[in-house]
Amino acid sequence: MTMFVLRRLLGLMPVLAVAIGLTFAALQALPGDPVAVMLSDHSADAELAARLRAEYGLDQPVWRQFLTYVAHIAAGDFGLSFRFVHTPVIDVLADGLKVSPILALAALAVAFPLGAFAGSYAAIHRNRWPDTAVILFLVAGISIPNFALATFLVYVLSIKLGVLPVAGWGTLDRAVLPVMILAIPCAAYLARLARALMLEVLQHDYVRTARAKGMSERAVVWRHAFRNVLVPLLTQTGVIFGGLLSTTFVVETIFNIPGLGRLAIQSIFARDYPVAMAIILLFTLFYAVINLMVDVLCAAIDPRLRAEGGSRP
Amino acid sequence: MAFRFLYRAAVFAVPAALTVWSQADAKTLRVNISADPAQIDPITYSELNSYQVLEQVYEGFTSITPDGRALPALAVSWTPLPSGYGFRFNLREGVKFHSGRAFTAKDVKYTFEQLLKPGGQGGLSAQFLNNVIGAADLKAGKASELAGVKIVDDRTIEVAFTKPDVLFPIYQFFFMDSGIVSALGADWMTKADAGTGPFTFKQWKRGIEVDLAANPGYWGGAPKIDGVQFLIIPTGDTTLSQYDAGELDFVNLPENSFRRALGNPDYQSQTIKVPKAQVRYMGMNQALYAPFRDKRVREAISLSLDRDAMIRGLYNGAAFKLNGQTVPGIPGYNPDMPPLKYDPERAKALLAEAGYPGGKGMPPVDIQCIEPFRDEITYYANQLGKVLGMPVTPKVVERATFIKSMNAGEVAFFPWGWTADYPDAMTFLGEMWQSKSPFNRPRWSNAAFDTLIERAQTEPEDAKRFAIYRQAEKILMDDWATAPLPATTNIALRKPNVKNVTVTPFGYSVFQSALIQ
Repeated sequence: MTMFVLRRLLGLMPVLAVAIGLTFAALQALPGDPVAVMLSDHSADAELAARLRAEYGLDQPVWRQFLTYVAHIAAGDFGLSFRFVHTPVIDVLADGLKVSPILALAALAVAFPLGAFAGSYAAIHRNRWPDTAVILFLVAGISIPNFALATFLVYVLSIKLGVLPVAGWGTLDRAVLPVMILAIPCAAYLARLARALMLEVLQHDYVRTARAKGMSERAVVWRHAFRNVLVPLLTQTGVIFGGLLSTTFVVETIFNIPGLGRLAIQSIFARDYPVAMAIILLFTLFYAVINLMVDVLCAAIDPRLRAEGGSRP
Repeated sequence: MAFRFLYRAAVFAVPAALTVWSQADAKTLRVNISADPAQIDPITYSELNSYQVLEQVYEGFTSITPDGRALPALAVSWTPLPSGYGFRFNLREGVKFHSGRAFTAKDVKYTFEQLLKPGGQGGLSAQFLNNVIGAADLKAGKASELAGVKIVDDRTIEVAFTKPDVLFPIYQFFFMDSGIVSALGADWMTKADAGTGPFTFKQWKRGIEVDLAANPGYWGGAPKIDGVQFLIIPTGDTTLSQYDAGELDFVNLPENSFRRALGNPDYQSQTIKVPKAQVRYMGMNQALYAPFRDKRVREAISLSLDRDAMIRGLYNGAAFKLNGQTVPGIPGYNPDMPPLKYDPERAKALLAEAGYPGGKGMPPVDIQCIEPFRDEITYYANQLGKVLGMPVTPKVVERATFIKSMNAGEVAFFPWGWTADYPDAMTFLGEMWQSKSPFNRPRWSNAAFDTLIERAQTEPEDAKRFAIYRQAEKILMDDWATAPLPATTNIALRKPNVKNVTVTPFGYSVFQSALIQ
C-alpha cells in the first residue's frame, strides 16, 4: 500500500511541472504589462515604472524570470503579489485557502448523498412518477447555467423573501445559496449515474439470490444493491471535485466569496501573475490529491486494484 | 464505508470552519468598495480603494470639503517663504496620533522622507515633493535627509522648493507617526495605523472587509458613529442587491450598475449625483494623422458629436456636457465656456473648406480605446462616418497595452480622461495639456498656453490664478486642441436614516460627522 501511494505521488511531479510551464507561458502570452496596470493613469511616470519593474524582476528576460520562478517555487517561495503592495503571495492565498476547499467539500457532502439516493430511488421506481421527477430534476440541474440559477434564487430568496443574505461569507446562512448552486449540478450528474448503475446492479445474480432467500425488497435494494452502486459512484468523485473547483470561480464571483476562485479572476484581470500562477498550481494539486485519495480508498475497498497496479475499475 | 467517512468529515468540517463573526451593530456605517486596497499604507498608496480608507484615518496640511475647497487640517496657517520658493507651515496644536504620541513637525519631515527614500516605494503623493530642495538626492540615495525641509520648532516647519509651487498646501499628504516603526516593527500596518484622523484601523479581512473604529480623541470632535465597515464587493449587481437587502447603508456605485440604479424609481430620493473629478477628451494626434493638423477638421469632429444623445444612450443620463477641460467641483472651473454645439451642416462645410468634401481624401484611421469604451468608440466611428464621411474604424485594445502606447504618443485618435490628483484645475490644464507633461497623450503643443500655465504655477492668489486658467483654457479650445467629451458622475445611494455623508468628486466624504438614526 505504501509503495502504491509513493508511486502515485511520484507520478504527480511531471503533472505539476507541465502545469507550471503551461500557466507561465499562458500568462506571458496575455497582452498587457503588470506595471502599467499597477500605475494606471500614472504609468507615463517612467521613473516610477522602472523602479517597480526592477523590484519585481520584470526587467529580466522571460527565460530568466521563468528559471527564477521555478527555483523559488521549489524552495516553497511563491514571491510577492503585484497587486497587494509588499505582500507575499502565500499571505494573499491564506484567506482563500480557508474558503474554497470548504465550499467545494460542503457541496460534495450535499450532492453525493442526494445524487446517490435520488438516482437509486428513480431506478427502483423505473418509469413511474418518482423516476420522472428525478429525471426532470437532473435534466434541469445539468442544463440550467449556474449563474442564471444563482441570480434567480438570490432574487426570490434574498431580495423578495429576505430569508437568506445576498452575498458574503463567514456565517452559515451565507453559505446556503452558494453550496446549493454548486451542489445541484453535481447531484444531478451523480443521480444520472446512480440511476444507471442501480438498474444494472438489479440485474445481477446476487440480487436474484437475495430475493430468492426471501429477503424483503427494501433489504435487497438498500443493503445489497445500493452498496454496489456506491463504489463506482465514489470513483467519480475525483472528476466531480475537479468540476466543482472550476465552478467555484463563477459561484465565488456571484456571491462575493473571498475564495481562491474569485481571487484568481481578480488576479488575472489585475495582471497579478504570481498570485494567479500560485492558484492554478494549487488547484492542479488539489485535483491530483483528491484523485489520489479516491484511488487509495478504492484500493482499500477492493484489493484487486492494488495487485493490478492501481488502475481504476 | 469510504463514502460514509468522506461525508462525515465534510459534515463536521463545514460548521467548524465557518468562523462566525459578530454582526455589525446598528451604529456602524456600512459602505462598499470595489476591490481590496492594495495596502493600507499612507506612503505607498496609489489607487482609489486605498484612498477611500486612508482619508478616514490620516490627514495632511489641509482637508478637502465635499464641494472641493481646501480647509486647514493639520496646518492651521501658512505663509510663503521670503524667497517665494516655499512655505512656512504653522501646525495644529494638541493633535495626537492614534498611538497617543503628539503630532509634531518631526512627523511631517519623516513622512516626506519615507515618500522619497530609495526602496521606500512612495506612491502617488511622492510626485508632490518633486520640487522640494534635495528631493532628487534623497531619491537617488545621495542624501539621508530631505535638505529643503527645516524643523523650526515642534509646531513650525519650512519647506523650500527649487521653483515656485503655490498649490503645495492643498496637495494630499497623509502624515504618519514617526515613532510607529520602533514601537510596532516594520509590519505595523497589519496591527495598527499611524494617523491622526477621525477613525482608527481595526482590521482588514482580505477579500471581505476593512473595519475602522471611531477615534474618541479626534481633535475635530469624536465621530457620532462607532465605526465604518468597508465591504469589498467587486460587482455592481451584488452591491445593489446587498443595498436592497439592507446589508449596506451607503453605496458609491460602480458604473456598470448605473442603468439599474437610475432606472429604479424607488431609489430617486436616495440618489446622490456628483460630477467626478475627471475630464474627458478626444485625443487627436496631429503628428500621426495628417488631417488633424487642420484646425477646421478638429472643430468639425467636435461639431459632429451629438453629446445629448451620448449622455442618454451611452451614459444612461449619468453624465453632463463639458465645454472645456475643467470640471465643476474642482476650483478653477470656468462655468462660462461657450457651449459646444451639435451642428452637422456646419461640420460638413468646415471639412469641405479644409479640402475633404464629404470625407474625400481622408486616409482611414482607427479610433482606439479599451474594452469598457467599445460602445463609445463604435458611436464615434459611426457618427463621424455618417456626418463627415470620415473613414474611422473602432479598435478595442487591451488596457495595459493601450495605456503604454498612449503614453508613448503612439495613438492617433482616442477618447480618454484624466482624474484630478488635487482640487485645483491645474491638475487638468497643466498635467494634460502642457507640452512637456508626460501625460499630454495627444502631444498637443502651444507656446502661449505653456507660458500661461507656468505663470499660474507662481500665482498664489486663487482669483488671479483662476483668471489665468480662463485665458489658457480659451487658447486650448480656440485651437480645438480637443473635442471635450461628456464627463461622468459619481452616483451614490444613501438610506434615508443615514445623515451627513455624501460623495465628493473624489469619492466618499470623510465620515467624521456621519449619523445613523
